Amino acid sequence: MLRTAHLATGLALAMTCGVATSTNAQLASHKDLTLPVALTIAETALETCKAQGNKVSVHVVGRDAEVLVAMRGDDTGPHTMENSLRKAITSRMQRRPSGEFANAVKQNPTAGALHLANMIPAQGALPIKVGDDVIGAIGVSGSPGGDKDEACAKAGIDKVADQLK
Amino acid sequence: MLKIAYGAAGLALASLVAGSANAQLIAHKDISLAMAVTMARTAIETCKGNGYNVSVNVLGRDGEVILALRNELAGPATFENSMKKAYTARTFRRPSGEFAAGVKGNPTAGALMLNNIVAAQGALPIKVGDDTIGAIGVSGAPGGEKDEACAKAGIDKVSAELK
Repeated sequence: MLRTAHLATGLALAMTCGVATSTNAQLASHKDLTLPVALTIAETALETCKAQGNKVSVHVVGRDAEVLVAMRGDDTGPHTMENSLRKAITSRMQRRPSGEFANAVKQNPTAGALHLANMIPAQGALPIKVGDDVIGAIGVSGSPGGDKDEACAKAGIDKVADQLK
Repeated sequence: MLKIAYGAAGLALASLVAGSANAQLIAHKDISLAMAVTMARTAIETCKGNGYNVSVNVLGRDGEVILALRNELAGPATFENSMKKAYTARTFRRPSGEFAAGVKGNPTAGALMLNNIVAAQGALPIKVGDDTIGAIGVSGAPGGEKDEACAKAGIDKVSAELK
């Protein structure tokens, strides 16, 4: 399932290369998340929600939607692991908050994107960016309301904001 | 899949143990996320100190992932491998390396056909007394014994709390 997502990203990269035909010997150059940064993001999100009285699970995915950190919160519902993962993947794929995607598909419930593996129209995940480049995403699940999950995701990203450049 | 396996095992165990007082619930200890984070961090740092980049998975009593950490400096296979090693150690309640040694003489063992079972050293069961409450799996070092040493360091770090 994730492999499919990875291939799709590969295709996107290939298209990027197609654009750069005038200098086709150049390699792509980009920043990526490290495990320490991803772990800080995840732990901050989880602790933020915990401080608000909400038990959540958290996923941080990288550029290829690969899992960097999967974190099951104590006493969370079993679905929160899948849900936080799928929100994060959705946010990475859509390059926007998963809640924005959720709103968009309300107007278009037959959107093709809904049929891709792991996509889910649910708030609680944010893309992780370096400038305009989406290098990953964080997804949170477990709070009573996607807005609360998203606030914790934002706290996680804010914590490492000075490193995202 | 895991849920079904757990349900079956749990029912069987509960029925056996609590036959005389069948209204009793089962009471047990489980790994907290905080403890899993300490174990995984310690395992990664230990291996790093030895010169190796590894990925780590810590699984709970049901074989469920409590914490999965992909080391971006380790190979892509290490993430899956550390999970499977841990699942193997949890399932058989012993080091995955012992399982690997055990099936060398029996390469058609049925256990090898189960999902997520891997005959590779590098994971240890996490125990409270004789009760296996989870497992930690490590992958990335050049040699399963080196992975296992880091898994052991992780468990040793929290040994005082495993009771």
